[in-house]
Amino acid sequence: MLHLRLGMNSWLRVAGSTVIVLAAFVAVGTLSGSPAARSSAPAQVTFNRDIAPIIFRSCSTCHRPGEAAPFSLLNFSDAKKHARQIVDVTQSRAMPPWLPEPQKLKFADEMRLADSEINLIRQWVEQGAIEGAPADLPPPPKFVEGWRLGQPDLVLTAIKPLTLPPSGTDTYWNFIFPVPIQETRWVKAVEIRPGDKRYVHHANILVDRAGSLRQRESAPGAGFGGMEIRIESQVFDPDSHLLFWKPGTIPYVEPEGMALRLDKGTDLVLNTHLQPSGKPEVIQPSIGLYFTPRAATKVPMLLQLENDAKLDIPAGQKDFLVTDEFTLPIDVELMAIYPHAHYLGRDIQALATLPGGTTETLIHIPHWNLNWQAVYRYLEPVRLPKGTKVSLRYVYDNSEENPLNPNHPPARVMGGNRSSDEMCHLWLQVLPVNFDPAQGDPRMALQEALARHDVEKNPADFEAHYNLAAMLQAKDRLDAAIREYELAVRLRPEDAVANNALGAALVGAGHPEQGVGYLQAALKTRPEYFDARYNLGLALAAQNDFEGAAQQFRLALKLQPDDANVEANLGAALAEMGQFPGAKAHFERALQIDPNQAIAKENLQALQKAMGAH
Amino acid sequence: MGLGRLCFLNRPMFVAAAVFCAALAQAQTALDLEGRAVSPLAADSSKVVVLVFLRRDCPVSSRYAPEIQQISKQYADRAAFWLVYPDKTETPQAIRKYLQDYGYRLPALRDPDHVLVKLGRAQITPEVAVFDRDRRLVYDGRIDDWYVDLSRARPAPTTHELEDAIRAASSGKPVAKSEVRGVGCYISDLE
Repeated sequence: MLHLRLGMNSWLRVAGSTVIVLAAFVAVGTLSGSPAARSSAPAQVTFNRDIAPIIFRSCSTCHRPGEAAPFSLLNFSDAKKHARQIVDVTQSRAMPPWLPEPQKLKFADEMRLADSEINLIRQWVEQGAIEGAPADLPPPPKFVEGWRLGQPDLVLTAIKPLTLPPSGTDTYWNFIFPVPIQETRWVKAVEIRPGDKRYVHHANILVDRAGSLRQRESAPGAGFGGMEIRIESQVFDPDSHLLFWKPGTIPYVEPEGMALRLDKGTDLVLNTHLQPSGKPEVIQPSIGLYFTPRAATKVPMLLQLENDAKLDIPAGQKDFLVTDEFTLPIDVELMAIYPHAHYLGRDIQALATLPGGTTETLIHIPHWNLNWQAVYRYLEPVRLPKGTKVSLRYVYDNSEENPLNPNHPPARVMGGNRSSDEMCHLWLQVLPVNFDPAQGDPRMALQEALARHDVEKNPADFEAHYNLAAMLQAKDRLDAAIREYELAVRLRPEDAVANNALGAALVGAGHPEQGVGYLQAALKTRPEYFDARYNLGLALAAQNDFEGAAQQFRLALKLQPDDANVEANLGAALAEMGQFPGAKAHFERALQIDPNQAIAKENLQALQKAMGAH
Repeated sequence: MGLGRLCFLNRPMFVAAAVFCAALAQAQTALDLEGRAVSPLAADSSKVVVLVFLRRDCPVSSRYAPEIQQISKQYADRAAFWLVYPDKTETPQAIRKYLQDYGYRLPALRDPDHVLVKLGRAQITPEVAVFDRDRRLVYDGRIDDWYVDLSRARPAPTTHELEDAIRAASSGKPVAKSEVRGVGCYISDLE
């Protein structure tokens, strides 16, 4: 008698946590301009002595050829040609683009000008924009040409460029970059070159470990449109990095111990926000990857606060407040923050209330502008102990007075993925600290707390039930997971991912006869769904329908020909039916793909013993 | 208007300077891309005249290209459009390339002395000046309200000052708004 092992719970292919990652963008205008510093300023302001140091430090990085800004600011005549414009945009703080108000917790790479600098610029222009003495001019700024961090270890270029039309509204486009690696690599830095920087407002990289976005392309490499996209992930592997580009971004090198994991078959998806220029533009981004031989020892996680369900903003309402708050179940260090709303967002704030009762502002943007959205990294990680309440407070303006209002006249606006819908999201990159590794991955506690919070907040939230189920399943609490998956499927009866997950959980819990129907439902929605095909094979095999199982495994192999698990299980099903030569061939093929495939190894030995005995 | 301009021939390259000065003296008006003096207001008195002030290095100016082209086409029977480049350092070659890149099919003028700028009371690029059939300035300012400020543009304009002015001026009616300043780049920065 052969000892055959078919896939068990842990072999089931389940999309773990469904993560909706967003992408967005925008502009600002506060008219401030306090007349301070006038007394301390030199009587005659000159470019060479007083203005050049400000321009070289805070403007030239983007205002030079090949960069994002529309004209250069590298010398006196450049500045003179835009002098009054520079006064206007610095007074309004539209330039340099930096949205957050000054606060106690400092951000890295802050681009804010001091009031005294803004006043100096104004004085310079009022006095006739004088050049000044050549001896006063500081040396011109030096910039690294090409890749900022040197030649990357791997450069990925978009397969098909996008031609941006000369006019029309802003465009959101996603480029998919398959990563040609044969084994897992660790990435310590990513440099995004978004194509022609003048027309790319921002770009965000999403890590798609399951190839779930490829199906949205009309042809491989074609890319696809859309502002907000959803990524499915196989296992508990929450996103941990904010890979973001905006004009002026300096590539970020991960701190010691941190790195982004890339596996064979991973796609990087670049979500871009593009703005027409007046003429057709060809956009072909590329991504440079810098590897490190050291695997990550510290794994941060992205926490998302959100409350899109509360976004039902009446037409004309000027101050529509949305809040969310989440209490941290463990100690963390906050590394970066990324607020996101669309065109109605106006005043955006995030706070942390520590267990002792003190409240810190994590970020405050009084004039939100999607065009200049950004990831803000803290200069020093912010300690947030267990029990800290993190809250968001976003105010939306759906009145006629909001010039960015997508509707004219204003109309009711709900939460949603289109740029004319609204969003209320806040991402926090946190690193769990002070945890006991024996208690398992601390991120699980965060994810579960977050999933429970989401379900409580919104019982009709499909993703919340789904994510909670995935967490429970990851902790082997299968019955509880099944209940949550059922709630998710009830909310979206045709969702392939949820049906597959529920079916797989039922098979794992020893109810294959109940699982089959959900797996078939998943395949009805998405016939090319490899995971559901594979799981259906397992469900049939668990009911001793080996012929049916073999058929499903064969179909699965058509979808992913190099999957060792499928080969091993197909071999096992054939062996069960007494088809030993066929079984042997598939076990061998499984081991060819993955020499450590346990089922194939074990079964092949048993099979050879059995065949030898004949 | 019409101030006399002194021409100092104090350059070592006397001949070249003389030619340059002659062109200026002759100009007192805008130049086409061949360097010939052109008076856009003298042309075809059956139509209103629209001067569109642009800078190549002004992104707001550039983003308006499809809109300007479209409006000029729509009102071709009633309005004669001229693109005006007030930057004196701008070369005809660079302007030609720009017109081609942005798909313009409109005559372009250089206005190095800001004769048309003064005539059309332009302050910003892009702005327009609309002259009626009697060549009175009836509107100067923005094309529409697409831009709110340099960092914010509406999804679509909600007012259309240029089109309103063309329609009124070409049918002999008074123009409702005679002046609304634009958003973009200062022409005075070019002086």
